[in-house]
Amino acid sequence: MKTAPRQIVAFGGGGFSMESGNPLLDDYVLGLTGAERPRVCFLPSASGDADHYIVRFYRAFSAHRCEATHISLFRREQGPEDLRRHLLAQDLIYVGGGSVVSLLGVWRAHGIDAILREAWEAGVVLCGLSAGSLCWFAEAVTGFHGAPKRLEGLGLLPFSNCVHYERGGKRRESYHRFLLAGMRGGYAAEDGAALHFTGTELSRVVASRPQARGYRLDVAARRVVEMRIATTFLGDRGAIPAPPVPEALSTPVAA
Amino acid sequence: MGWAGGSGDGGPAAVRRILALGGHDFTSRPPDRAVCELLLRLATERGGGRPRICILPTASGDTSEQIGRFYAAFGERPCEPSDVSLFRLGRRPMALRDHLLAQDLIYVGGGSLVNLLAVWDAHDIASMLSLAWRRGIVLAGQSAGAMCWFEAGITKSSGKAREATGLGMLSGSLCVHYNNEPDRRAAYLEAVADGMPGGYGLDDYAGLLWEGEGSPAAVTARRGARAYRVCRREDREEEVTESPLPARFLPAPAPAALREDIAEFRRIKTMRKRAGWLG
Repeated sequence: MKTAPRQIVAFGGGGFSMESGNPLLDDYVLGLTGAERPRVCFLPSASGDADHYIVRFYRAFSAHRCEATHISLFRREQGPEDLRRHLLAQDLIYVGGGSVVSLLGVWRAHGIDAILREAWEAGVVLCGLSAGSLCWFAEAVTGFHGAPKRLEGLGLLPFSNCVHYERGGKRRESYHRFLLAGMRGGYAAEDGAALHFTGTELSRVVASRPQARGYRLDVAARRVVEMRIATTFLGDRGAIPAPPVPEALSTPVAA
Repeated sequence: MGWAGGSGDGGPAAVRRILALGGHDFTSRPPDRAVCELLLRLATERGGGRPRICILPTASGDTSEQIGRFYAAFGERPCEPSDVSLFRLGRRPMALRDHLLAQDLIYVGGGSLVNLLAVWDAHDIASMLSLAWRRGIVLAGQSAGAMCWFEAGITKSSGKAREATGLGMLSGSLCVHYNNEPDRRAAYLEAVADGMPGGYGLDDYAGLLWEGEGSPAAVTARRGARAYRVCRREDREEEVTESPLPARFLPAPAPAALREDIAEFRRIKTMRKRAGWLG
């Protein structure tokens, strides 16, 4: 049994799914495992286990750097029979993007939700982008289909989450509206930025692009307060990880 | 609330129709063409000359293979085919409820029954399908897409054959690929003996058509493919009986290419006659 800390890395967007040729975020999560040849399992459930996506995963996580597998919940006749044992034996579980609503539905039907909590508690690093980021939080903003909606995630992290958080985007506007309507405070990340949690504390924000940022959002005096978080660009050689201190207030605090 | 019905609304008293198929594919082989023809006929009966036929490929995870084969089968036929891919809505947003209720036939593809129902539940699809059924939109499907309409079925969604709950729009249970997958049939017989509600077994290329109240009509697109009634004996409950049902044979229409060849041949024949040639 591992005694490693519980770790989740939630990408606002990026990694092999979105940043072909930029392995910075994927390298970062592999590095967190501390293993020489980490065992990495890909969960492409949010895409309906799309073949092309699985192929791209194996290309990005090639055999010389890790021991890669995937679980296809639509083709259980293939792959590991004992899902729990397989997932608990990993160093890193990587969740792909797609429909978070479908993802959570399929996971619950196969008992994956409980297994992932167990894996997290056992020190398996959990990560993912987009739907694979939203799923770890108590609440999330999904903009996958139509107008952005509020939904409940697995709740490993007691915050809300919003991904692909771009200036002037619909998700941002909706997230603010949901917060004012009582959604708990939380974190947002732009494409290329990733929120790294140790336990349930944000330990740092890292990025595969120099400008990408993460944000902390809360409601104070019935107004949304959005703070940009100091971010470490992973492309800087020898960069010293910045502590996740507020860098700037994006929304003026109520007078 | 607006009436979202499409072509040929059945109204509240519409005949409820479900076609459950034990297993087939959308290839150009004769039994597959026969199934396709039946689907087109049922859709046309409701929608007229150019019915709307929509595939829900959810159980497969919306694979492009399944969707592609469906379009290949119906693309050249007199109908308007479409697909609702719940995993691809991000790239192709659509008003789900309006789209489904505008169809004449909704076809559910095969795959994982457990995932199908979980994803439908997450997107609230079951209530839309139930409403479509009550409005007379034909519901059809094969394998997982056939068992989903029943109270229960035998799924291999977790690898091994085991019992799973369905939507319960049709009472009783269904086991697909009946004589094609002996382990599935064995699991079904055991489950019914253990108290699962009885129902039907369907071989690949056998089907059951419910039209309104009463018993379904059995159809078969391949000689030897059968539909079975599977029940626990009333006197000795631990024993299960399997009785084959008389089935109507569905002949395969000529393939599209052949239909064109025949038309061409007739044209040549007419020309020859006009020209006064012999033969």
